[in-house]
Amino acid sequence: MMQRATTGGCPYKADTKNFEMLQSLQLVQPTTVAEASGALADFGEKAKIYAGGAELLLLFRNGLLDAEILVDVKKIERLHRIEIDNGTLKIGACVTHHALEKNELARAQAPALAYAESQVANVRVRNQGTLGGNLAFNDPHSDPGTVLLIHDASVIIGNSSGERPIALGNFLVDMYATALESGDLLLGIDVPQLPPGMKSGYWRLHRYQRPTLGVAAGVSMTNGILDEARLAVGCVGPKAERLTKLETKLKGTKLSDAKRILADEKEYLRELLRPVDDLLGSAEYKLYMAGVMLGSALEEAGRNGHDRRS
Amino acid sequence: MTGALKKTFNLAVTVNGEAWSAEVPIEETLLEFLRNRLHLTGTKRSCESEVCGACTVLVDGRTVSACSYLAFEAHGKTVLSIEGVARGENLDPLQEAFIRNIGAQCGYCTPGQIMAAKALLMENPDPTREQIAKWLGGNICRCGAYGAIAQSILEAAQEYRK
Repeated sequence: MMQRATTGGCPYKADTKNFEMLQSLQLVQPTTVAEASGALADFGEKAKIYAGGAELLLLFRNGLLDAEILVDVKKIERLHRIEIDNGTLKIGACVTHHALEKNELARAQAPALAYAESQVANVRVRNQGTLGGNLAFNDPHSDPGTVLLIHDASVIIGNSSGERPIALGNFLVDMYATALESGDLLLGIDVPQLPPGMKSGYWRLHRYQRPTLGVAAGVSMTNGILDEARLAVGCVGPKAERLTKLETKLKGTKLSDAKRILADEKEYLRELLRPVDDLLGSAEYKLYMAGVMLGSALEEAGRNGHDRRS
Repeated sequence: MTGALKKTFNLAVTVNGEAWSAEVPIEETLLEFLRNRLHLTGTKRSCESEVCGACTVLVDGRTVSACSYLAFEAHGKTVLSIEGVARGENLDPLQEAFIRNIGAQCGYCTPGQIMAAKALLMENPDPTREQIAKWLGGNICRCGAYGAIAQSILEAAQEYRK
């Protein structure tokens, strides 16, 4: 029954006959981590963590999930915080992409992350979607995780018996799969500072709203020599990856030699990134473009980093 | 305490300046609420995947895809749809500019274009053409009226700055 709150009365009956609605859902809105964890453990597979819903509702819409219960974690106050603690940027899991894109702490400490957030999908998705939801969903075609890898970020997982940090690289297990276990929820993301003097950036290739390829680079350089490079590639395969072996090879080399070294490492990239053919491009194309964009990312990050502001 | 599982939500929401209340199923989207209950059919249903922007409305001044935003989330908030943009008989400068520039062909995407543009001008009343293009990147016009849409927003921005 619809009511005009000011005057009472209802002009229309709900007419839902011609609409295909989402499946029938139930809602629970815990206010503490322990309650949320308890609800998740009690309801098991029937329950899904619900934050922004930007991804979850699409799964429902497309009949890919038959969950019945939404555990809305947005009433847990601590999941909305962004703060710097001992040099680490701590981002609550329910902070939206848009909030991060605009947040001064994030822009100062992790400009490449703030930039990547400004590139996520479109402004509506950024208003609704959360960083925690993005990482916990672990869609391969996603931006923030790739940048977070070069920050050596970790995620904080909580349940009714406590909380534990886990390196992001270990959290992202496989496409759409994470290290979250039954009763677990993602509480936040810890983003350490880059080493002093390191410049960073994020570059993406996209034809549609979801990226085809994302490259994050952090570079410390003295007189054209790479003191340290941190590189990560996302979107081309099952999950975003840090290129640690390549980073080691690049250490102490001239920037001008980096592209040659990159070209020699194609098979390493293929094995690590496991590129797949999909509607965004063939595996070969993605691998080729990953090499191209890694080369220009090293150059550009080395030159001036990436203080692009949207 | 967590409280019991809810199948419905007692929603109280302000839509285009009018306060409404209703008991809505949890799975009801804001688009369904606006179109089916309030018969505000200016907000369009199209891709249902947060891509096209035809269902763009403002919730507390921020754009959302009403097709993928559960109605209960609007509880205690203010929703603005295309029907609430004009002030009585006076069209919004965006509406005037869209009419003047023929910023629509078939018109199906237009409510969403105007709502997205309104959110932009509320945040930045002096956008560049490039900023407009980026902001409106999530609002698809299959007729390809983009040039006229951008021009309309640039012209309306002059009025918003006054």
